[in-house]
Amino acid sequence: MATGPLRFRTPHIEELPITQSRQAPGFAWVAVAAPPEDPAKNWGTANRKRARANVGGQTETQKEALSARQQREVERKIKELNSDNSKDVQIPIPKKEGGGGGAARAGKTTNTKKILASGKTFAHYLDDEEAEIARTGRRDGEAEVVPVAIQQQRASKTPYARRKAREESSMSASPVPTTGGSAPMRAGDPMEIDAGEDGDADASMPSAAEIETLLNLPPLTYNQARSAPPPSNAPPPRRFCEVCGYFGRAKCMKCGAMTCSVMCKDTHDEQRCLKFYA
Amino acid sequence: MARKQSLAKPLTGPDNLPQQTLVVDNGAHTIKAGFSSTSFDDSEPKPEDCQVIANCIARSTRDKRTYVGPELLDECWDFGELAFRRPVEKGFVVNWEGEKAIWERSFVDERAKLKCNPHETNLVLTESPNAPAALQRNADEMVFEEFEFASYYRTTAPTLNSYGPSPFPSTSDSAPGVPLGCLLVVDVGHSHTTITPLYHGRPFHSACRRLEIGGKTLTNRMKEVLSRTVEVQKEDWIVQEIKEDVGFISQSFSSDLERVWKGGLKDPREIDTSIVVDYVLPDYEAVKRGFARPHDPTISRKQRALGLDGGPREHIVTIGNERFTVPELLFTPSDIGMQQAGLPGTILQSIYSLPENLWQLFLANILVVGGSSKFAGFTERLESELRSRVSEDYIVRVAQAKDPLKNVWLGGARLAQNEAVLKEHVVTRQEYLEHGDLWTRRRFAGKVGR
Ligand SMILES: [Zn+2]
Ligand SMILES: [Zn+2]
Repeated sequence: MATGPLRFRTPHIEELPITQSRQAPGFAWVAVAAPPEDPAKNWGTANRKRARANVGGQTETQKEALSARQQREVERKIKELNSDNSKDVQIPIPKKEGGGGGAARAGKTTNTKKILASGKTFAHYLDDEEAEIARTGRRDGEAEVVPVAIQQQRASKTPYARRKAREESSMSASPVPTTGGSAPMRAGDPMEIDAGEDGDADASMPSAAEIETLLNLPPLTYNQARSAPPPSNAPPPRRFCEVCGYFGRAKCMKCGAMTCSVMCKDTHDEQRCLKFYA
Repeated sequence: MARKQSLAKPLTGPDNLPQQTLVVDNGAHTIKAGFSSTSFDDSEPKPEDCQVIANCIARSTRDKRTYVGPELLDECWDFGELAFRRPVEKGFVVNWEGEKAIWERSFVDERAKLKCNPHETNLVLTESPNAPAALQRNADEMVFEEFEFASYYRTTAPTLNSYGPSPFPSTSDSAPGVPLGCLLVVDVGHSHTTITPLYHGRPFHSACRRLEIGGKTLTNRMKEVLSRTVEVQKEDWIVQEIKEDVGFISQSFSSDLERVWKGGLKDPREIDTSIVVDYVLPDYEAVKRGFARPHDPTISRKQRALGLDGGPREHIVTIGNERFTVPELLFTPSDIGMQQAGLPGTILQSIYSLPENLWQLFLANILVVGGSSKFAGFTERLESELRSRVSEDYIVRVAQAKDPLKNVWLGGARLAQNEAVLKEHVVTRQEYLEHGDLWTRRRFAGKVGR
């Protein structure tokens, strides 16, 4: 290709304009920058004292509305960050060379025809399964009883005891055999760790029967397996400057975004602040 | 119980399985695939035997071409503005129309590097843990009814690591098909990160956990933060390369962030430039592949992009805290507001759901695999965080697989070398046709014998 004009031809990359920062001498980025309180706008609460005490001069109601909106925004963003496919594109599968296409693509059997023509997304499958569990207590015909009472957070000393009763004892009697019994000793073997440590009398291994019971518990559902939130005594979430990525130190009163400095606050005000309302 | 049936008319057992097995670790981002055989008695499967195939159908707006599966890495040379369609969603094949096209191009087509006749080949196929049953059924039906493989073993990807090479230097590898005794697999994949405690090759299902941060989360996040300075919204591929090239896991997040803060975009404050890099973006003419170099504050990005400063014409993006704040999401998902524990916390949720006398075994046998575990500093950070969170009485040991991307495949290939073990695990097409899909799923779930 001939040398193009000065535009950045290839990976659609252009520099974004950096607007001149508005000079605001003496502007402090701390929450002092609240607008003077206007009683007329102070709807939603009669308690002006409390309203005044709020950082940024917002009422509780306003704050709640803001945080609900932020929460929705956070959830939307996480979903977007975890999306698998390019946004807003339909990519058809190219026709096969040699004309294998048509019939072959449609599927060889009734089952595969249905699968290949399915437009279901993962969310559909998940909803279907959750609905079936709610209806029948089982996830897959008679194949699996769904474990209940998952204790995701608490360390349970006998997590299997309560579920034992639910075990399909006859079904699980002959699991896929393993070659484990005759496995030679290796790192990663239970015994090695025990041998290495001479203390810990109470760290004796569970019996083979206990382990077998545990191994035969059915899988959790997709939703049950999700990592639980950190414990309540964990440090609060960190907030970052949305302009430069440093720790956020001041919150925008209009949209709740964090910035770290006067400079970043200016950039925020000029380029990004109103996006929630757009 | 089921064993006794062998006295009666034997079920159609896999008496003569084909020697050749196609092992497919079907990741959301790439398929890791290659052949193993029960006739490979002495030769260890090697990473070179495993092909890495893009598991996508990609459309280039440049040459208007659509690349199916392996064509992307083999034939595409300009990765700008590629749009992707991925059949695997959240770790599971959801769109079989797309997956079928990719598999055919990879395993059946005349041009396929891994061309095979499914009627004479066994298939070992991985899925993510905690699959919805309907998706497992779809996979089984496609394998037997559409591709018609002779026999098939569907298992979770983490499980196969038990059959892989030993991650701990103190031990020698075992014979093919013999699982490691005890392993807690941390699989940092494209879709998410899963935790699977394994005992002689079998998972403790009730303790499997999933953190919903994976390679794609990090790429998308990198795209978002780089968009502060350059327009990269359409550049999934390039941003992914940037992430892989410059990303690292900080051992001391706050102080690293402090070191690169410049007090606002226009503050003249000096920053510690040991972290900051200039990344030269590919234009697929002069620069075929992007690369990073130490930050040069004298270069004006604008001038350089126009070729006006005497240097080569280059498009540069300066990257500072993004190098570690993005991968940090694996350890601190709350940084984007996600209400899930970070990786160390999720691992402990898994371990603590087991009886206490098993905790030590798993704390001392943590194996890290998956493409997104390749960030520098990953293992060190994981080990030190776990160390600080559990009692001093416990030994904590974390090892990364020698080849984090291909370790699952290597495990599958080693398993498929051992005919007896392979027979234990597979369902033959004959059995599927006789006993049906539910029986097949129950068999893969370990609920029925032959
Ligand atoms: Zn800032
Ligand atoms: Zn704002």
